[in-house]
Amino acid sequence: MTSGARVSLVVNGRRREVADVPFGERLLDTLRWRLSLKGTKEGCRAGNCGACTVLVDGRPMLSCLLLTHEANGASVTTIEGVEALSVGRAVVRAFEAEGGLQCGYCTPGFVMALVGHLASPGADRSPAAVRAALEGNLCRCTGYASIVRAAQRAAKEVA
Amino acid sequence: MAGVEWVAPSTEDEALRYFSSDPPSAVVPIAGGTDLLLDLEAGRVGPRRLVSLSRLPWRELEWAPNALRIGSTRPLADIQADPRVRQAVPGLIEAILAVGGPALRHRATLGGNLARAAPASDVIPLLLAVGASVELVGADGHRTVPVDQFVRASRETALRPGELIRRIVLPVPRPSAYRWHRVRPVNDISHVAVGGSFDPGTSEWTVAIGGVPPRPQVERDRTLGARPSDAAIETFARAVAERVPLRGDLRASEGYRRRVVAILVARTIRAVAMADQIGSDRGSAA
Repeated sequence: MTSGARVSLVVNGRRREVADVPFGERLLDTLRWRLSLKGTKEGCRAGNCGACTVLVDGRPMLSCLLLTHEANGASVTTIEGVEALSVGRAVVRAFEAEGGLQCGYCTPGFVMALVGHLASPGADRSPAAVRAALEGNLCRCTGYASIVRAAQRAAKEVA
Repeated sequence: MAGVEWVAPSTEDEALRYFSSDPPSAVVPIAGGTDLLLDLEAGRVGPRRLVSLSRLPWRELEWAPNALRIGSTRPLADIQADPRVRQAVPGLIEAILAVGGPALRHRATLGGNLARAAPASDVIPLLLAVGASVELVGADGHRTVPVDQFVRASRETALRPGELIRRIVLPVPRPSAYRWHRVRPVNDISHVAVGGSFDPGTSEWTVAIGGVPPRPQVERDRTLGARPSDAAIETFARAVAERVPLRGDLRASEGYRRRVVAILVARTIRAVAMADQIGSDRGSAA
C-alpha cells in the first residue's frame, strides 16, 4: 500500500505534475509548500474563515478542506493567477480603489470568493448577492465596510 | 492521517467492494469532506483507506411526479442555485444557505450531512420536517429509510457497515421553511434551529427542532390547518417549546433556548403559511 501518488493540476493556466503527494494532504499545503504559491493563506484550517479560498474549476472552494487528490485533473486558480482573468483584474482594481484591505492576510480569500461569484455563469450582481458571496470570509481589520464597497464597485465594473 | 490511502472508484460496484474487504473502521467514505477532514486532522478517526465518492455518478437532481431525488454527492451550492428546488421545497434552500459560506457549500453534500449526522447540521432538521428519506446501497442491495429513522443521535445513523447513501428523496411540492438563531448570522452554528413544512395532502404540519439532544426532535400537528390563526400558532409553538428535551451548554442556557424555540417555531409556521413570501427573507431575519 502506498501513501502517496502523483497529482496533475492546471494551476493558474500552467500544467503542474506534483510527485508523491500524500493522500491525506490538503490542496492548501500543496499550493503553499510544494508549489511555493504562498499567496493562499492558512487562517483557521477548519473551514470558518475563508482565507484559503481558491477556485477549483471556477468554483470557490476552501483549500484547507480539500484533499489535493480530490482536485486531481482540475484547474486551480489562486491569487497569483487572478489577474489573468478580466474579472480578477476588475476585483483587484476595486480593492485598491476602495482600500479594501488593511493587514492583507484575508484579502486573497476575499478576492477569490468574489471572483468565483462574479465570474460564474449568470452571476447575480445585485448588492445583496454580492454581499452574500463574501459571507464565508472573515476580516479582523477593516470592519468590512471597505471590502463590501470594493465588492460592489467590482460588480458594477464587470457588469 | 499519515499513511492513509485514498481511492476514487468510478462505479458503485467498485465502491462497495472496498467496504466488503476491510473491517469497518479501516475504510471511511469521503464526499465533500468538509466535516470529515476536521476529524481526520484531529485524529478522531484514523482509517487505513479513504474511499472518495467524488468520481461516482451520484450527482443527479431528478424530478419524479411527487418526489425530488438528489444524488448524495451533489454539492449544496448546486441545489441552492436550482430555481425549481426553491419553488418545490423552499425550506431546503433556506437550510442550505445556513451551512457555512459559499465556498464550503461548493464542496459539502446532503449525503455527507446525513452520514456524518453532526448535531448542528442545518439540513437534517429540514429533511426531517419535509419527511425525506434516504436510499442506501450496500453489499445486500438497496433499501430506503426515512430520515426520521436514519438519524438516531449525534454522530449516529442507521447505516450498516459497508452501506453508502445513494440518494435523498424529498416529497414535492412541500411548502417549507427553515429558521435559526445564532450569535453571528453566518459562519456560525445555530443555538437552535427549526425546520417546518406543511403537507397539503394530509393537512399535517411537521416541525423539527435542531440543537436538541440526542437529535432533532420532530413534532406534528393536524389541527392548525393551512391558514392557522396567530393564536393557534402561538399555542402550538409554546407547547412544543415546553416539551422538547433542551439542555443548556456553553452556547446558551436551557431557559433561553426554550424561549427561542417558541419564537422560531412560530416564525417557521408563519413563513410556510404565507407561501408567497417563502424564500424572500433569510434565516432569523423573519
